[in-house]
Amino acid sequence: MNELFTTAVMGFLVLLASIISVEVGISVALIEIFLGVVAGNLGIKVLPWVSFLGTFAGVVLTFLAGAEVDIPLLRAKFKESALIGGLSFLFPFVLTFLFAWFIAGWDLRASEIAGIALSTTSLAVVYAVLVETGLNRTQIGKLIMAATFITDLATVLALSILFVQVNAFTIVFMLVSIALIIILPKISPWFFKRYGERVIEPEIKLMFFVLFLLMYLGDLGLSHAVLPAFILGLVLSQLYEKNKLQLQRMRVVGFALLTPFFFLKAGMNISISVLIANLSLLAAFFVVKIAAKFVGVLPVSRRYIPESATYTTLLMSTGLTFGTISSIYGLNAGIINKAQFSILVAVVIASAIIPTIIAQRFFSPKIGFEE
Amino acid sequence: MFKKILVANDGSEGAIRALEKGIELAQIFGAELWSLSVEGPLPAYAAIIGEVEEARIERENYFKAIEDEAERIAKEKGVELKTKVAYGHPADVIIRFAEERNFDLIILAHKGHTLADRFLLGSTSDKVADHSKSSVLIVK
Repeated sequence: MNELFTTAVMGFLVLLASIISVEVGISVALIEIFLGVVAGNLGIKVLPWVSFLGTFAGVVLTFLAGAEVDIPLLRAKFKESALIGGLSFLFPFVLTFLFAWFIAGWDLRASEIAGIALSTTSLAVVYAVLVETGLNRTQIGKLIMAATFITDLATVLALSILFVQVNAFTIVFMLVSIALIIILPKISPWFFKRYGERVIEPEIKLMFFVLFLLMYLGDLGLSHAVLPAFILGLVLSQLYEKNKLQLQRMRVVGFALLTPFFFLKAGMNISISVLIANLSLLAAFFVVKIAAKFVGVLPVSRRYIPESATYTTLLMSTGLTFGTISSIYGLNAGIINKAQFSILVAVVIASAIIPTIIAQRFFSPKIGFEE
Repeated sequence: MFKKILVANDGSEGAIRALEKGIELAQIFGAELWSLSVEGPLPAYAAIIGEVEEARIERENYFKAIEDEAERIAKEKGVELKTKVAYGHPADVIIRFAEERNFDLIILAHKGHTLADRFLLGSTSDKVADHSKSSVLIVK
């Protein structure tokens, strides 16, 4: 198939996903994955530039996730959130890993990817639900958000630590990452002031350069840029809090040009025939993930949020972006095959939708209208 | 007869007519008048907070403009209007808000401007009329 034709198709799918998203009120990411599934299963191949943009978008999404962490909130709720968020990662990771390894018969590294991909909690899904219910203003909502930050952090830590392979460049990668994490928050305010507020957007280019550099060095060092990208976002979150317009511009560039290809690529690598042939395995992974979240999160939620423990547990069971990022990492690195990828991403998507619906429909705490 | 009147306001032409009727009744009965705008659900299953946050900001700006316009119309008629914007499914929020704040009359337009919602969820005015404990006036 002609590459330019495929490019035009990609452009159309990106546009179509946005239109559908606005019309039906479902996130553009989910629609892009869905359209990617359709395109991929109709035989449209992932072009090299789509693959590259998709990979870079995964790093940008991780950076943005870090930049969206509310540090003061995390500090204020650290003890409880570390416990809930930590257990929210740990139990699903261990139980899903064991299930993949012993029951599904996946190899060790593929099982580790399964454990990571299915232990995540979707901060964005949780946030949307909390805002809609008004719970984001309450102590319950703030604690759930803080716990979700911790689960995200645990996910990127696991993804980086478990798959690290050390060579000479790994040290270079680590040293440069640490240097950037220390230096960038110090020089960025000056840089933003000196070069900011221009249509040519030097601030965005600075961040993109840093993320490209991390991807390059991570690749040389047989590692991955997700951890430093997330921490960079984290250490810059206060700066972005003061420069909200800058964060908004990063999001605009990301949503217009980058993330569509991340989610389309994810969808295009999902095989419908594999899903149909593995429906029981898919259901089993889903049940294990949700059950593990309940085993890990419900008891501690009962202690800290007794009035909304089940609601909290269901929200902590949601997953989307980091689950997809982990799965794509596994696929790109050859750790999981396309069939395993299809199953994992399908379970991740199911975990974004099903627990949210159940939480909102049956367990949503009723709070009064704000004055 | 009516002490607290709630007008459901989505900014549509019908909602403006409902507001004008509310102002008229508030003047007749000396009632307290409120305008309630309901923001529909945020993008479900979003990828990053930014997607939700941007949608939230866009909608807040949109509904702020509706509130300002409603206040302007009421002020022109010499009536004090209190406004409120809330999230959720319109009918549910209108009914809950009216119950929680003890409104004795809800006024809303026969048709708002969300065709898709009407198709998928049924008419907001029908639902409010069916399920609200307060009196309901549907303005055509």
